[in-house]
Amino acid sequence: MSAPVPQNQVVVKEALLSKGNQKIFKDGLWDNNPISYQVMGICSALAVTTAVSTGLVMSIGLVFVLGCSEAIISSIRRYIPARIRIIVQIAVVSAFVIALDLVLKAYFYAVSKQLSVFVGLIITNTLVMARLEGFSMHNPPWKSFLDGVGNALGYGLALTAVASIRELFGAGTLLGFHVIPQAAYESGYINNGLMVLSPGAFFVLGLIIWGHRSIAKFVEGK
Amino acid sequence: MKGYRHTFVFAFIICVVCSVVLSALYEGLRPRIERNADVEVKRNILKSVQLAQPLAANATDQECLTTYKEKIEELVVDEKGNIQPGMKPSDIREGIKGMYPLYVYKENGVVKAYAYPISGSGLWSIIFGYLAIEPDAVTVRGITFYKDGETPGLGGEIQKDWFQNNFRGKKIWSEKDQKLTPIALVKGQVKDFYQDERVNYHVDGITAATLTCKGVTAFLDRWIKMYEPFFSKLRET
Repeated sequence: MSAPVPQNQVVVKEALLSKGNQKIFKDGLWDNNPISYQVMGICSALAVTTAVSTGLVMSIGLVFVLGCSEAIISSIRRYIPARIRIIVQIAVVSAFVIALDLVLKAYFYAVSKQLSVFVGLIITNTLVMARLEGFSMHNPPWKSFLDGVGNALGYGLALTAVASIRELFGAGTLLGFHVIPQAAYESGYINNGLMVLSPGAFFVLGLIIWGHRSIAKFVEGK
Repeated sequence: MKGYRHTFVFAFIICVVCSVVLSALYEGLRPRIERNADVEVKRNILKSVQLAQPLAANATDQECLTTYKEKIEELVVDEKGNIQPGMKPSDIREGIKGMYPLYVYKENGVVKAYAYPISGSGLWSIIFGYLAIEPDAVTVRGITFYKDGETPGLGGEIQKDWFQNNFRGKKIWSEKDQKLTPIALVKGQVKDFYQDERVNYHVDGITAATLTCKGVTAFLDRWIKMYEPFFSKLRET
């Protein structure tokens, strides 16, 4: 699942941002983008992309949750009993998600109101489970942290792209500011209702996956 | 056996560590969280009564609390519509039945509106809000919905101003028929359904949020009837 990573087990001291680590980070962000390459976390990508602001905050939340839980899981990976590893992963992820929710409620009340149920939904994000199981169970904490942050940012990038298109065509706004001029409405332009609904996200996601894959020259293996 | 023991011990440790950390975090943040929730409620009461000088959207918590203290009087009414002297909404504990909070908005001693909390199920979640009635006990002065878990962009639109503003000026009492007319949402635009006086107690619904709208209609009906004893007394005087 994860891209081949140069194993540096012999070399004890590796620079924090060595080539290998940079690659781990960049993999999640672009080359191995969770949404357009791994096609992970699609369910939440549909739900939170009606507006850019919710998409952005969701992404920031995911960066925190995925980065931290990958680091934690990776540092205890040698002790986790194989039978209950998924449960342990979920427990750690949930703890971070609840912590995030509490902090948002205490310090960013307005934002937490907007996100309402979606913060809790980070737990069910397939991307989180996939990275924990696929990467941090086999890699050291710092690499895992980079992988988590990189993937979450990659997810956020795709999410923001989808959200921008949906908000622009669905509501005529970007981050809540009116972008499409009033004159356009007066001359008969109407917002595209499909964009607000979940099917709209499927179309946009499809286009984005297509776009990213053709730029990255990625061909699905047989 | 060693494997089993390790598994149980590990699971136990994980559970204990997670719960201790989260409990500690919650206890630490609780004063802030509760204060935020309290300010949010007061902000919404102030919004529902349509203040003469509305609170700025970016008003600080402190400004909000000061204005609230200045303009709003907290009362409690019982199910027969009598004001309970000396009681405050915060005195209504769980288990006390037939007591309802009432928030009176006064401007220089003159009553401008009565607001009360409304809540009920939408499609996915329980919706919370406040409904404010003019002193004539007939006209809706304002409504807010401030907490819900409805679908953003669809049912979640009930939190938007464009939707809430549609309630202003609607009537909960029909002079013609001398009966209570709880506000109902229609599927689409009111003008496509009614041209007569029924326009007064129907509100435009939200497209693609029919079930949320149905829920709102149902609980508005319930709450408007619940406070009717108080408002009918007000109407008679």
